Amino acid sequence: MRSLKMNKGYLCLVLHGHLPFVRHPEHEDFLEEDWLYEGITETYIPLISIFEKLVQDNIDFRLTMTLSPTLISMLSDPLLEERYIKHINRLIELSHREMERTAWQPHFQRLATMYLNQFCSVRDTFERYNRNLVNAFKKFQDLGKLEIITCGATHGYFPLMDVHRESVRAQVKVAVSHYESVFGRKPRGIWLPECGYQPGHDEILKEAGLRYFFTDSHGVLHGTPRPKYGVFAPIYCKGTGVACFARDLESSKQVWSSIEGYPGDHNYREFYRDIGFDLEYDYIRPYIHPDGVRINTGIKYYRITGEGNQKEPYVPEWAREKAAEHAGNFMFNRQRQVEFLYDFMHKKPIIVSPYDAELFGHWWYEGPQWLDFLIRKIACDQDEIRLITAYEYLEENPRNQVITPSLSSWGWKGYSEMWLQGSNDWIYRHLHAASQRMTELAKGFTNTDGLLRRALNQALRELLLAQSSDWAFIMGTGTHTSYALRRTKEHLLRFNRLYEDIKSNSLEEEWLSDIEYKDNIFPAIDYRVHQ
Amino acid sequence: MAILRKLKEKLKKIIKENMPKKKALDISKESPKPVESKKQMLGTEELAIEKTKFSHPEVARMRRAMPQELPGEYGWDKIILQVRDPWWIHAYWEVRPQVFERLMHELGDEFYRCRRILRVYDVSQVIFNGHNAHKFFDIQINEHTNNWYIDTGGPGRSWCVDFGLLLPNGRFITIVRSNTVQTPLDGPSWITDEEWMIPEDMFARLYGMGFGLGRSSPVGKVWQERVKRALFSGVLASPGMGSSPVKKAKERKFWLVVDCELIVYGATEPDAKVTVQDREIKLRPDGTFTLRFALPDGKQVIPVKAVSSDNLEERTITPVVSRDTKVNSLVKA
Repeated sequence: MRSLKMNKGYLCLVLHGHLPFVRHPEHEDFLEEDWLYEGITETYIPLISIFEKLVQDNIDFRLTMTLSPTLISMLSDPLLEERYIKHINRLIELSHREMERTAWQPHFQRLATMYLNQFCSVRDTFERYNRNLVNAFKKFQDLGKLEIITCGATHGYFPLMDVHRESVRAQVKVAVSHYESVFGRKPRGIWLPECGYQPGHDEILKEAGLRYFFTDSHGVLHGTPRPKYGVFAPIYCKGTGVACFARDLESSKQVWSSIEGYPGDHNYREFYRDIGFDLEYDYIRPYIHPDGVRINTGIKYYRITGEGNQKEPYVPEWAREKAAEHAGNFMFNRQRQVEFLYDFMHKKPIIVSPYDAELFGHWWYEGPQWLDFLIRKIACDQDEIRLITAYEYLEENPRNQVITPSLSSWGWKGYSEMWLQGSNDWIYRHLHAASQRMTELAKGFTNTDGLLRRALNQALRELLLAQSSDWAFIMGTGTHTSYALRRTKEHLLRFNRLYEDIKSNSLEEEWLSDIEYKDNIFPAIDYRVHQ
Repeated sequence: MAILRKLKEKLKKIIKENMPKKKALDISKESPKPVESKKQMLGTEELAIEKTKFSHPEVARMRRAMPQELPGEYGWDKIILQVRDPWWIHAYWEVRPQVFERLMHELGDEFYRCRRILRVYDVSQVIFNGHNAHKFFDIQINEHTNNWYIDTGGPGRSWCVDFGLLLPNGRFITIVRSNTVQTPLDGPSWITDEEWMIPEDMFARLYGMGFGLGRSSPVGKVWQERVKRALFSGVLASPGMGSSPVKKAKERKFWLVVDCELIVYGATEPDAKVTVQDREIKLRPDGTFTLRFALPDGKQVIPVKAVSSDNLEERTITPVVSRDTKVNSLVKA
């Protein structure tokens, strides 16, 4: 029930859903595809189940969610859908075996049962939406509860593409037309990959019909001139009028800080204790990587417990209670924040709290429950804050300050260093060369068909795939970098060969078909957007 | 105008402050300035969490061939600048060998006495023509280097870099000139002029809804009054941000984990009915079965009962297993 009493401020929750495009039809089983499967089991379906129940219970809510074009493409890919079914079936089989194995340990058997039920219901939900979860998200958007925004086509980090803005334009335009083909309308907002904003890129957003984007706090706080309301009101970019909403650090910290953050609570599930590592090798072997390397299965029996290695079994009821308590605490803090700001600003503040969607459920197992409690409490227990989407806010508050936001990202240290450091700076020489060549091709071949057109489109696909910020990010973390290296090189090499073959008019259809089959993202791509 | 004057003074101050430290800095030396500690803290924590998205051990996938190598050069002459953060920019460049050959030919012996230089120009608010920079500083580069992190010391300023040769007589020959980049501010802007807007279409909607003009004129005035009155000097930021130490990876101490599992297996007629601890189990087609249990401390009585398919015969075998775990630790001084 929406209360009749006036609210004093708004809360804009944003979940940024993104995974890089990982799809290897050429391999029977590919480890990194698990990123998607884990996302489906632990994040996307739990979120969908929450939305379903909220609608059932007639609880009004507003949530903004990015579904990156790469994530959408994978979620609606028949091969990956089929592989996911295999994956979840194996998990169900494993949890059956776990129930049997733990017969003399009631603590653990209860948890094994919990996982079995969870996996079965996940599979049901997956089947219910015809294995394509994009249908589910679209349903909630059509109901007006969810605002789905777009992202860079492959999550390229825009500030480090600035020397070739044609690439930024291609990232945006491909994303927007992909969104339109999936959701049947244009996107209103965009999540800039890694929240990376470079002054001037709002022009490209405007061209693409996008009305708003998000930055990290300092993107607006360090903008020029000074933002009168700090991060608690959006601003319009000077020259374009595209609106920019900035992240509130306090609410982010409450969720992620290891000291004050919720996920570190001792009652929550311990991420690092997985039966894929804990159990006897021969037994677990069929459920880990075919090469025999132990990996996370998703079945975890312990709670965080405390510092040290001694862990106690997980108690779902305790964790659930904590999630409710933390949701209450989060709401309480937002209420105080809103009251304080309202008196100070003489205007209703908007608090923008963006989070990486995959970390709800995957990293923070109870995250989806927390979100559910939070939404219900906001709807039923108070009047001060109201959930809102960025677009609704603009409709209600169209008059805003005009500034030029500052270069910024939400990555480590707040700028571009995560993607530009000793371990990954070498990629830009090649990425920029490819961008330059792609522009040359797009300008040089204005009207094409047949094999040439296919090759040009594929060249843009390869370039976009090479640009994913995920590869530079993984190289930057310094661990498990070989896959990221391989992907960067592979796409760039494919691009370079396409470029040379196109220029020398020596395209080989067989090879082209092969890479079209492997890198099949964006079937309707038009290479001419790269200008 | 006052703003412009203020801006100019501020710029002068910044330039002065930064003058003495203009030294070529190696990439290994970290930026001396603390990058917004709060933001950084949160950023580091988020980074640690974010990594779990890609949480898999590396599989020894040497068997899958790594692709061939990318080209070492593309055959052009250029230098590209990118911004890393408010203080640091990164330059990478490529110059074809024939360019150096030509210079070698032109300069003769002098070529060997030249130094390779990155000349970093502060070109804030000017259209750079090679001569009108506010200032510049040089960084000496060795022959095999093709990229460099530059400590500009100047947030909120524009930079352009020439890669070229510095002759012993002080003459500088530009080989390639970079794009211009602007470093972001590292704090709030000192410009506090305000500009407000309502997008056309949204205004049109308000207008159409009937309280358009009526609202925008008087209310707008009151609003502007309020804006003037309420002009606060500080920028609103989240209150109560304390810094928090980052959780360090736990130190790996010596450790030992031991657990026991029990395998109960057997065989009977394939069509017999078998229960273990009164729970019916499924036989394999050949009549064998295997059960696996985590074995806690204490005694387990495990009756295994088989009943023939015609219900005329029944047999029970009951293993009794007990586990008693003792733990001893010894730490030698």
